[in-house]
Amino acid sequence: MEFFLQLVLTGIMVGSIYALVALGWALIYKCSGVLNLAMGELTLIGAYVSLTFYEWGLPFPAALAATLAIGAVLGMLTERLFLRRLIGEPVLTVIMVTVGLSFFFRGIIELIWGTDLRVFHPPVFPQEPIRLGTLVINQVYLWSFLASLAMLGALVAFFRYTRWGLAMQAMADDEMAAMALGISPKFVYAAAWALAFMAAGVGGSLLGNINGVNIAVGYLGLLVLPAVVLGGLNSIPGAIVGGLIIGVLQNLAGGYLDRFTPGGVKDIFPLAVMTLVLLVKPYGLFGWVRIERV
Amino acid sequence: MRMRLPAGVFYQTYKQDQALWPTTFVKLRMWGLLVFLFLIFPQMASPYWLSLANLVGYTILSAMGVQLLIGYTGQVTLGHAAFIATGAYTAAVLVLQYHVPYPLAFLAAMIVAGLWSVLFGLPSARVKGFYLIMTTVAAQFITVDFIITQYVSRIGERGHSFSLPPGTLSIGPWVIQSDRDIYYLMIVLVTLSVLAMTNLARTRVGRAWMAIRDHDIAAEALGIPIVRYKLLAFFMAGVFGGMAGAFWIANVFAVSPEHFTWSWSLWLVGVLLIGGLGSNYGTIFGSLFMTLVMEALRNVVTWMAPFFPSLETSFLFIKEAAFGLAIILFLLYEPNGLAYRWWQIKNYIHLWPFSYE
Repeated sequence: MEFFLQLVLTGIMVGSIYALVALGWALIYKCSGVLNLAMGELTLIGAYVSLTFYEWGLPFPAALAATLAIGAVLGMLTERLFLRRLIGEPVLTVIMVTVGLSFFFRGIIELIWGTDLRVFHPPVFPQEPIRLGTLVINQVYLWSFLASLAMLGALVAFFRYTRWGLAMQAMADDEMAAMALGISPKFVYAAAWALAFMAAGVGGSLLGNINGVNIAVGYLGLLVLPAVVLGGLNSIPGAIVGGLIIGVLQNLAGGYLDRFTPGGVKDIFPLAVMTLVLLVKPYGLFGWVRIERV
Repeated sequence: MRMRLPAGVFYQTYKQDQALWPTTFVKLRMWGLLVFLFLIFPQMASPYWLSLANLVGYTILSAMGVQLLIGYTGQVTLGHAAFIATGAYTAAVLVLQYHVPYPLAFLAAMIVAGLWSVLFGLPSARVKGFYLIMTTVAAQFITVDFIITQYVSRIGERGHSFSLPPGTLSIGPWVIQSDRDIYYLMIVLVTLSVLAMTNLARTRVGRAWMAIRDHDIAAEALGIPIVRYKLLAFFMAGVFGGMAGAFWIANVFAVSPEHFTWSWSLWLVGVLLIGGLGSNYGTIFGSLFMTLVMEALRNVVTWMAPFFPSLETSFLFIKEAAFGLAIILFLLYEPNGLAYRWWQIKNYIHLWPFSYE
């Protein structure tokens, strides 16, 4: 039981980071209909940028802020240069452009930063774990959890209470009506990509604090796909819940199933869950059920 | 995109209309191409060009199944490397552990890969578009990163069991050991599969697939059992993938899961988008173009390496970035791929001097 609770707790902490990245993904999909397969690389960019700033001697919060700023600029640039021309193109075209982006980004990242594992040094968060009764939590996980909660809260508040956030919601809901009300789609798409880059950037730098930074962080970023499928593609709460569930399931699989296999269950279990969800309930927990018309 | 015929060609029988190579000129051209590929090229080319040709051939064989699924049936797959890996490992295990003759192992690999592909095609009965893409991504990671890496590649002793030194494989008395032998195997397979694909596309099955690609609901209304044809498409794509994998073990010294990463799946789709979807020309042009451009890039990098020593080690990264950029630029500026350009040029020549439309 204690083992179980421990796994669930760690799962929730990691899951909150997935939830953050998944939120960025759902944002792009909701606002512009782009199914983004480059999310792993966006996470990777965030991890490396914040690591670089940290190595230059900036304190971690400042490095995070700088990552946010650079993420916003890169997001808007990506949208302007590549995605804006693709509005209304077939799904395959748009997906493959994001695949092209992911190759492009990964090549550039490896050119700049190499492929060796790099860690935040000195460690950002204290090393000694916190004890809650019999449960043990690494401080890295706890702070990552709090940071992603703060970021999630900020994003949700942004959508609910600011003019820009409402404009983005309107655009996601009904593009025509939003345009008739004077909302600029260009602005909304650019903002969605900027926010996605920022969310992925924060997620990446937190993940980098847990395991160190190398290409594997990009693979963790890919786990947003099971998360958003589970939650329902076009649902913001779904992305959050999906991210948390995937984090927990992944840890449970690592804890209970790993001993029956030579290893590696932890990495593919979310994808296996996703396949099952697709077979049983393809629109996820909160997604809209689309009715096919002839 | 039906090819216009040159002026002065008239069909008088249905047989002529349905001929694979409709005119004498086409016949001459194709026979010339075959003579060049089977007799002249392997005798003239150096081992370097032969190994490059083998890589092009492997890319064509690998991309054939993806073309069938995406280009003809409209089922987007981003996990085809899983089925190539299934084929490669089936053939390797059969040959190395059970000492099955290579041709039999080859056939078994095709069938096993086909069935494995059908398993992951089953969700296509229920979902499509992005959801189906996700299933194929899952197929990639479950097959290659889990089953093959953790279980299959540990059969026998790790590190020894899947090494295939030249001369391990033989078809009857013919031992495959030099690059030239591999080339002959490759060119026979490529010719057969291009022929198979062309004829599949011209017949009932291919037309059903294209109907599903163009509009699945309309296709069903016309009486096409879509689930059966979709699964058949997945099976055939898996068979092509298994063929590519079983060929690949002849081309390498050792099989490793690293040959079949997700990047390779994505690479194949990129090759098709650059070549063009929905025709054999697309598969062939895309494979040629990407392999040769990347090889040219490697030569430039090697040439510049004395001036910038760090370039040599970072070639792989440059290659990735260049490939990504190539996909994006093709999708933005030449969305129909190289095959469309080729078709336009051919029509221009056929209709000359009245080449306006």
